Amino acid sequence: MHRLHINGEIREVEADPETPLLWVLRDRLGLTGTKYGCGVGFCGVCTSIVDGQAFKPCQHTVADMAEQDVLTIEGVEDHPVQRAWLDEDVTQCGYCQPGQIMATIALLAKHPDPTDEDIDEALRDNICRCGTYPRIRKAIRNAVARMKAEA
Amino acid sequence: MGNPFVRIDAESGRITVTVPVPDTGQGVRTAVAMMVAEELRVPVESLAIEQAEGDPDTYGPQMSANSNTMQRVHEPIRTAAATVRHLLVKAAARRWQVAEAECRAVDGFVRHGDSRFSYRELAEEAATLTPGEVELTPRDEWQVLGNPAVKRVDQDAIVTGRLAYAIDQASDLVAVIARPPWIGAAPTDFDATDVRDAEIVRLDNGFALLAEDTYTAIKARENLKTSWQGGFPDADSDQWLAELEAALPTGNTPSGEFIEKIFVTPMLAHAPMEPPTATAKVDGDAVTLWAPVQAPDLMRNLLAEDFATVRVIPTRAGGAFGRKFETDFVLEAVQLARHTGKTVKVLWTRDDDIQHDSYRPLSVHRVRATVNDEGLPVWRDHAVSTWPLSSMLDATSNPQMLKMMSAGKYPYDVPGETHFAITPPPIRTGFWRSVYAGQLVYADEMFLSGLEMAHNQVERRLRLLADQRVRKVLEAAAEAHDGEPQAVACHRDYGSVIAVIAETRHDGRTKITAAVDVGTALHPSGVRQQVEGAIMDAISVAQGARITVRQGKVVQKSFGDYPWARIGDTPEIEVAVVASDAPVGGLGELAYPAAAAALGFLSR
Repeated sequence: MHRLHINGEIREVEADPETPLLWVLRDRLGLTGTKYGCGVGFCGVCTSIVDGQAFKPCQHTVADMAEQDVLTIEGVEDHPVQRAWLDEDVTQCGYCQPGQIMATIALLAKHPDPTDEDIDEALRDNICRCGTYPRIRKAIRNAVARMKAEA
Repeated sequence: MGNPFVRIDAESGRITVTVPVPDTGQGVRTAVAMMVAEELRVPVESLAIEQAEGDPDTYGPQMSANSNTMQRVHEPIRTAAATVRHLLVKAAARRWQVAEAECRAVDGFVRHGDSRFSYRELAEEAATLTPGEVELTPRDEWQVLGNPAVKRVDQDAIVTGRLAYAIDQASDLVAVIARPPWIGAAPTDFDATDVRDAEIVRLDNGFALLAEDTYTAIKARENLKTSWQGGFPDADSDQWLAELEAALPTGNTPSGEFIEKIFVTPMLAHAPMEPPTATAKVDGDAVTLWAPVQAPDLMRNLLAEDFATVRVIPTRAGGAFGRKFETDFVLEAVQLARHTGKTVKVLWTRDDDIQHDSYRPLSVHRVRATVNDEGLPVWRDHAVSTWPLSSMLDATSNPQMLKMMSAGKYPYDVPGETHFAITPPPIRTGFWRSVYAGQLVYADEMFLSGLEMAHNQVERRLRLLADQRVRKVLEAAAEAHDGEPQAVACHRDYGSVIAVIAETRHDGRTKITAAVDVGTALHPSGVRQQVEGAIMDAISVAQGARITVRQGKVVQKSFGDYPWARIGDTPEIEVAVVASDAPVGGLGELAYPAAAAALGFLSR
């Protein structure tokens, strides 16, 4: 039995300790907003947040997750980053976007006013196959402005 | 009341739109909702949107392919919605005993003077009436269609992670498949000593491992020892390239001097972010399928050969780009569901996806031209050596057919011919965004770009362009591009035209300007998105994404060695949507060939 802290709740799951957190989230906890894209940490579609940092659930086993606070897209509600995404009409197929949004939330927590280089670095591992990057960059700028206005 | 595409619930007044074509990210749900919103004069956000099951008898062709969805569906859908409006007006006019022409449908009500009835109040009566002649809302009165402020539907569900894709479909069992370790290998035997909690099913091309959850299935595959025979363990893509080059058709040779160049385009994998996945349930002679199919109509017809009752439920697709036109992953799910009697989800892992795709064919191009005193081409010849598409072997194995399919797309006024030599594909090939145009335009435009002359890249093309629409987009792109047009390419297809200009700025960053004429642009934000996306594809390919084969095996495995563009690779992109009176054109695949050619020349 693994005791996990997910989106502010304690969730207990039975799983092979080697199971990547990704599959526990998706198959055991029904948190399917965290997507599978490659399983080896190259694509970023499963990006979530652990202790404030962007985190790839495909790269960590469930056994490693005890006592760590995991935030998935399901735990994010009406966030300025999500609203910015809507403003800029970012999405196409949308599959990578929960991961892009989680990576952006982690970035802006660390760098409230990121440079282009900060953005490139923070989202380097988040692939969008539809090519929405120009809009993602605009949406990040939009989110920065929103968060400043709200601060 | 209503029809297959639009209905109004007489109880709640809710208007439901049924979208006949799957949404793979191209935005068809938004565009169709806009058509209905326009004709019913209600906000897009007020509409409930449903996805049609595979049912061509009811909906007509349902394919998302060949960039022709908008051309195909805009009249039937707008007519369906306008018919509903017309019947609501007719019902209201009858109640008021006034002429229909005196009544107006606005914002969910039919109005006459100060009186009004809601659509809900009229729906039941309207359903009993016979429509007369229906008029579509003229373009100069459009509020929704053509409005660049209208954004994509479903975005709320996307940014909250609630949108369900094919991979999110619940199932009793998840299957991953041990696939051939080299091209064409056939499975012989297996040793399951180390496999836990998984059922093993032998297939023609591998061994399926079925488990109650995804990780158990993946781990079972890792622990299964397999043996294989036959196939092509020595296959090598350098060898294939040499063979294609040797097979180049003779083509035409002019008298006197000419310039000749060879171009090669690589194999490409589709690599949609959601890898192929499908879920099926078989109950006797009935099958139900949940899958991100690009052609639910064709899939239904295919399954109807084997089953008396077929339901094809298209899910949202996490990207497709031609990959989900293939039936392989779907038929695997159906076969395993039939075998087990359970609901089975087949998941291709990313290495399955990259290593066992239906690839864009490798191609070799020999382009020749004679030039005049100014250096402009006055005669040309283009010889192509490539493979057919495995899923359409009959049509694409025929060089004359390919010649016909590519005819009329070369936009410049330079007489010449294109010749094809088609040899059997040594690996599975398929539709990849823009298909052969991505290769032909690349070679033609690289050649034109490389000719030495005083005219710059825009001027030389204007000198050769008689097609007024292409001239206009090229001039529009040149006007919008505040810099040096270092690399330029044009393309015309699907009733639309585009020009792309690319430049490497002094700071090393790339700037790209595209001007596009898609005829009547129904969903302008979607037009920009498709052009931006296709430009990003071209960036990826220009930066070296390609599939190669060594010792019978695709070398690349994942996004680490199939390096698709990242945000830091994104150029500055400007897209001008040129006003046009031309009919509705297609778009999804229009921009890639020109972008690939311009970026190819820029990064040469």
